[in-house]
Amino acid sequence: MDTKLTAIQTIQGEFTLDLKQVTSLAQVDLLSTRYLGKHGQINTLFKTLPIKSDPQTGRKINDLKSVIETKITEKINQFLSLPTSTTFDVTTPGTPTPLGSLHLITQAIEEIENTFLSQGFVRRRYPEVETDWYYAEGLNIPPDHPARDDQETFFIDQDIVLTAHTSNGQLHEMELKKAPPIKMINIGKTYRRQIDASHTPMFHQFEGLVVDKDINITHLLGITEFFAKSYFGSDRRTRLRPHHFQFTEPSFEIDVSCGLCNGTGLIAKNACKVCKSGWLELGGAGMVHPQVLKNGGLNPDQCTGFAFGWGVERVLMMKTQLPDLRLVYSDDIRFLKQF
Amino acid sequence: MDIILTDRSLRKFLETSASAQEIAQKVSLCGPTFDGFHEVDGDFIYKIEAITNRVDSASAQGVAREAAAILTQFKIPAQLINDPYQDKIKFPLGLPQPFHFNFDQNLVVRFVAISLENISIKPSPLATQKFLENCGQKPLNNCIDITNELTILYGLPSHIFDLDKLATQNLTIRESRLGEVVITLDHQVNQLSGGDLVIEDTSGRLIDLCGIMGGEVAMVDDHTKSLLLIVPVYHPAKIRHSSLYLQKRTLAAQIYEKGPDPELCLAVMSKAIQLIKERAGGEISSSLLDYYPSPYKPKSVSLDFNWLNHFIGIDIDNKTVISILESLGFSVDASATQLSCLVPSWRYHDINLKEDLAEEVARIYGYYRLPSHIPTVTVQPEPKNLLLETELKIKKYLACHGLYEVYNSSLISQSLIDRTLQSSAQNLKLQNALSLDYQYLRNSLIPSSLENHKHNQGKVSGLIKTFEIAHTYQKIVNSQLPHELPTLAILCEGNFLDYKGLLETLLTFLQVRKIDFEPAQKPPPYFDPASTATVTSDGLLLGYLGLPKKLVLRNIGLESSPTAIEINLENLVSKINSHPIYEPVSEYPNLLEDITIKSKYLLGDIIKIIKNTSDLIKEVQYLGSYQQNHSFRVSFGSHQKNLQQSEVNTLKKSIQQVFQT
Repeated sequence: MDTKLTAIQTIQGEFTLDLKQVTSLAQVDLLSTRYLGKHGQINTLFKTLPIKSDPQTGRKINDLKSVIETKITEKINQFLSLPTSTTFDVTTPGTPTPLGSLHLITQAIEEIENTFLSQGFVRRRYPEVETDWYYAEGLNIPPDHPARDDQETFFIDQDIVLTAHTSNGQLHEMELKKAPPIKMINIGKTYRRQIDASHTPMFHQFEGLVVDKDINITHLLGITEFFAKSYFGSDRRTRLRPHHFQFTEPSFEIDVSCGLCNGTGLIAKNACKVCKSGWLELGGAGMVHPQVLKNGGLNPDQCTGFAFGWGVERVLMMKTQLPDLRLVYSDDIRFLKQF
Repeated sequence: MDIILTDRSLRKFLETSASAQEIAQKVSLCGPTFDGFHEVDGDFIYKIEAITNRVDSASAQGVAREAAAILTQFKIPAQLINDPYQDKIKFPLGLPQPFHFNFDQNLVVRFVAISLENISIKPSPLATQKFLENCGQKPLNNCIDITNELTILYGLPSHIFDLDKLATQNLTIRESRLGEVVITLDHQVNQLSGGDLVIEDTSGRLIDLCGIMGGEVAMVDDHTKSLLLIVPVYHPAKIRHSSLYLQKRTLAAQIYEKGPDPELCLAVMSKAIQLIKERAGGEISSSLLDYYPSPYKPKSVSLDFNWLNHFIGIDIDNKTVISILESLGFSVDASATQLSCLVPSWRYHDINLKEDLAEEVARIYGYYRLPSHIPTVTVQPEPKNLLLETELKIKKYLACHGLYEVYNSSLISQSLIDRTLQSSAQNLKLQNALSLDYQYLRNSLIPSSLENHKHNQGKVSGLIKTFEIAHTYQKIVNSQLPHELPTLAILCEGNFLDYKGLLETLLTFLQVRKIDFEPAQKPPPYFDPASTATVTSDGLLLGYLGLPKKLVLRNIGLESSPTAIEINLENLVSKINSHPIYEPVSEYPNLLEDITIKSKYLLGDIIKIIKNTSDLIKEVQYLGSYQQNHSFRVSFGSHQKNLQQSEVNTLKKSIQQVFQT
């Protein structure tokens, strides 16, 4: 008998025995390597064949190879389809990964920032401790003007204040850019001498400024509405009411329709507890006063602009209906972990 | 400024078919805001917020003028009636003047006075009493009530004195001197700070705290027979200063500090005389004194139609523009392209620019009628703000590693500065702090963090781990303004090495390279120098990592000893490698070998020495120490080839040799 054929039979016999003895998937993999691997039995047998002769023996080895492949595949499937010995209780609580939280204000600022970035605004950060010029006089608020008292300002000395608004950023931005177009959002800390359920001595404001040729009141309305709908919800409406600020002319107070009563002021025929007859005050805005453009080094005959300064905590409270602003500044982890 | 009006008083000046509710709704959109209204005895009471620069609208006739203009734009018939500016006013001539006033310079805008006699004081008619009560004022007697009623109706205060109680040959209006005292009608004794406007009579008594409240000396009472009636307009800033200083925020003071119209003085005087005659039976006993050093001169502001439409953003036809301005009392002289507006006396202070006129047109036309447009302004792209981006990245990273973000006030107390062993000389101090708790701007975040832990002590299960990112305010020599330094503070209970690891991983995640920790020679005062490290990147100090001093923990009342990290984010960001360069990954596996070194050096230095032995040493992992024997797992590798065990053995030997020498 041909020694090659004997070898084929021997391999087949050994394989059958080996296959009977495997007890795990890993052993099947070993078997597969032993017979079918690069240096396995089958390949070794092929290598003993003279080049270009004995196609019949070659075919027989190939047949053996495919038999082994099929049996190994069968065996693998057999193992894989075995039921797992231990059923796993998938309702067992997972091992917790430590989780902290981002503060509400960080979350609000990120959301506000993204809303304005999507409209092509540039985010800025301007000083929170400021000279009188940027804080007041340059914003068209002369010394002894009543507007200075209204802001409840903290003073470091006669000329240095903690900013009670973010509008100082307007002049800084004009000086930085030197010419229109300007489209910035300044978000920062602001300070006022007040503390009660809706005031904390430190809070945050976001100040928008857009200056270009032909900026008009409808553009302020456009951006206001865009913000209100993005931040509060697409069903919200906005309106302007006349107001007065020294650094804008005209000046507006902006209201957003109340989400609770849907702008009607009524909930089941009773007055809505959250709003004033259907509207919530968002904050002030206006067309930049020509004197402020001049003070920022721009020519008011060649450009116009609008600006607004709104409270981060204010919009946060309008959205979440937190009952007391002072809660926002709580450091109680049991409070912080809720957000 | 908030005022209260009744619907009936408003309709004295406003003829309209609009209901109270309609008036409140429509006028709020375009003029003064009606904060609410409610019905009392068949009348409506309005709470109205007059805009600060529009003192002319802080009265029934002022609101009526606004309402007439606004309702007309809503196509609701409405008309201003009984306009005091249209009154023909006459005063008797040829009577003597039983009083004489001296005026110091620049204190009085206009001062009108007259005397009346044969007065009989009694209660006001019931309707007047009711009206005053509805407007939140207390009825007193027929004459005083008249001055209060007229203030509400016309927005210009007046005042009466009992003429017989005064020495009137020489009345002086002057600034008060420091320490002078005036007793006002509310029986309060007011210590004056100097610079308040007062009237002094011939006998040297202060009879009036001008523009705020009358003096008790010449108070009108049940026995009063003769009156001195004045309708003054004072310098606004003087009144404001006194009113704020003395905390007397009377309606008169709130009006005077905003500069009411002196052109209204005679009309109000005339109404007052008429009512006193009707209700108290008096008659005029003097000629009129009218001191008006610089009478009102009309001014005009021009407005270009084309500019107006560009500024508002829609086309409003010229006729509408003109009719709006006229309805507000402007005299308009229009050409095809522009108009010239004569500003009415009651708008003298607030109308100066074309923008002011644009506001009038736009608001009366109705802001609610304007469309909204997103502006198509495109600014040049700018490099990304790495600082802001990094701050948010850090916050998210830490929040996802079990830390809670806190926002603390930037304002802290002297006590906290002391308890954390700092010196308040290094902090900016507020001149007018709200309380001792908020007196200094903090220049470090750690003290607040320590307090956060104190507040949470015993409240949470598990370790307390917090962080904050905020500006600290660093005093700069020779500069009034501080450096506002973005700072990160981390304070965590638990194993020091866990948080050192957290910081190292965070810095690696942020692409901050060449991080090094060295024992800190002079850390901030709240850190314990024995267990605090400087954190540097490529030699630049980023901040400190360490344990707070025991004394600090005790001062704060903390039972645990948390690990503190404070990082200067400006420096950190300057070391971020924002454009990492691709390095090919080695095809050859690293070989790992454990090695034990006996050395007195600091572990950090030992690791540096091992790394510096050869380029083929890729990583050194610390395994542990026993006395001065330190074990490391070193990984050896090459980009060119598989390292042979013999090569690795040689390297290990050379490492050992470094420590033997």
